[in-house]
Amino acid sequence: MSSVSSFDAHIILEGIRIVAVRVDEDLIVNEVVGDWCDIPVGEDVRDTVPALIGMEEELAQEVPYLQLPFVSLGMQHEQPVAISVQRDTGTGHLWILLRDVSEEASVQERLVHQHNSLAIAHKELSAARDAVLAADQAKTRFLANISHELRTPLNVVIGGASILRKPRKTPLSNEDVQAFSDDIHDCGVLLLQLVDDLIDLSRAETGNLTIYEEWCNPSAIITEIIRLARGLPEAQGVDILYQPNGSEPELFADPRRVKQILLNLLSNAVKVCGPGSRVFIETAIVENGDMTITVRDTGPGMSSEDLTIALEPFGQPNAETRSRGTGLGLAIVARLADLHQAEFNIVTAPGEGLSATTRFPSRRLSSLNG
Amino acid sequence: MKAHKIIVIGDFGVGKTSLIRRYVLDVFSDQYRATLGVHLYKHSDTIPINGTEELVKLVLWDIEGAPLPGEQMMRYSLGASGAIVVGDLTRTDMTEPMQRAADMIEARLPGRPMGFALNKCDIAPVPDTAEIAALKDRYGAFIACTSAKTGDAVPALFRDLTLRIIGGKAESV
Ligand SMILES: Nc1nc2c(ncn2[C@@H]2O[C@H](COP(=O)(O)OP(=O)(O)O)[C@@H](O)[C@H]2O)c(=O)[nH]1
Ligand SMILES: [Mg+2]
Repeated sequence: MSSVSSFDAHIILEGIRIVAVRVDEDLIVNEVVGDWCDIPVGEDVRDTVPALIGMEEELAQEVPYLQLPFVSLGMQHEQPVAISVQRDTGTGHLWILLRDVSEEASVQERLVHQHNSLAIAHKELSAARDAVLAADQAKTRFLANISHELRTPLNVVIGGASILRKPRKTPLSNEDVQAFSDDIHDCGVLLLQLVDDLIDLSRAETGNLTIYEEWCNPSAIITEIIRLARGLPEAQGVDILYQPNGSEPELFADPRRVKQILLNLLSNAVKVCGPGSRVFIETAIVENGDMTITVRDTGPGMSSEDLTIALEPFGQPNAETRSRGTGLGLAIVARLADLHQAEFNIVTAPGEGLSATTRFPSRRLSSLNG
Repeated sequence: MKAHKIIVIGDFGVGKTSLIRRYVLDVFSDQYRATLGVHLYKHSDTIPINGTEELVKLVLWDIEGAPLPGEQMMRYSLGASGAIVVGDLTRTDMTEPMQRAADMIEARLPGRPMGFALNKCDIAPVPDTAEIAALKDRYGAFIACTSAKTGDAVPALFRDLTLRIIGGKAESV
């Protein structure tokens, strides 16, 4: 058992933030060594060090054991101290040692702080990781889809061609030959379109899709794509309605790409609608002077979950509405619109049709007459 | 006059600091700042004991919410006259940690009175579960549904415990 005398204490405690307090058996302060904190002599030590309240029994022991590593000094006092006690074996005096642990406290506080920031960083990182995983999954889905989309028409081409070239005893009928070559031709056209779309999409993804802008006439473009859409087999029996108002401004855009946007939207619309229904194309100048071109159908519409899928490459939400498109349409439309700083927006709900709006900024417009 | 040491324990963030500050200083803050180590609050209260208003002196120990190693907890609980165990009504696993804390108190401070605070009653309904009834029966403790935010039942919680420490009879709770 070590012992402490006043003399030792003076030497040990000089310059160190420790105060040693000698108390009598009633816990009244007799002597204070060190001036780091104010402990009045002649008063009950529990008044200034309330951590000792309730410890009377322990303090009365021959060899008291009291180690409080980290308590506030008292009153609504934030000062953290470590408290320990020792009995002077010679005199039987009880020494209470108070050590300033502010530094340890601030280290600990910093640790808690760092721990919290780490927890936040960890959350952000796992969100980022989830995003990367999602992108990776989308890529995997894309690759799976693309191989499917390429293989299906290729199989038709190879299958049809192998039937045609196979030597046989009785030759194929003219009708059969015609049907197989039609299939091969159509699949070839589809494949070409798919490859074109893929090239567009990958150029858009890498920022290499260039547009060739010039002043063009929106109603002329719309009229032309309506003519093209009417030629689609699915357009039979569908009414495509457009009322040019004759005073549309000219649009500074890549006419080929604007046609691509509108033809994609229009062919989607006529495909989902079916005979007897109507599809509208409308242009408007909105409040801030932007021009909108809207393709609106009266078809089955879709839920917002399905819409999210539809906007992904190859995302075709349900098998019934799946048709002969490349499945890249909406993804490409969104990117082409983006290249014109145009907003592309779809409003739809199940049973309410679908309306797809491309909104060109006013700075791309000029009045036809000047 | 003898002062009494009361320790307040419970998991991180259940509202130990808030309950003490509501009782002692009558304030509340929405900001959360973890208590490091132990904070001591001295408080004097006048409590009706057996028909007369009496002044009592308390020192409340706000003990950090980290699950303290046994030895450290023993140091802090040394000499306590009573304990308040705090649980958070917004947590689904409220009673389990409260039971663990109460078992610890029973072991370290045998025979000392305990109070249970089911805190944050301003934002969560009080479940009428067998678990809570069992808690009361098992430890013979006073259970208060408190809100440090509104002050609901906060003085009652500390005063009931103080009365039982002193051995007086509660007038009304
Ligand atoms: N609504 C509500 N919030 C509370 C209540 N008590 C504490 N809080 C909040 O809960 C958080 C943790 O409280 P605190 O007293 O620091 O918890 P401790 O870790 O147990 O000391 C803080 O943001 C408080 O504002 C309460 O009764 N009602
Ligand atoms: Mg706290």
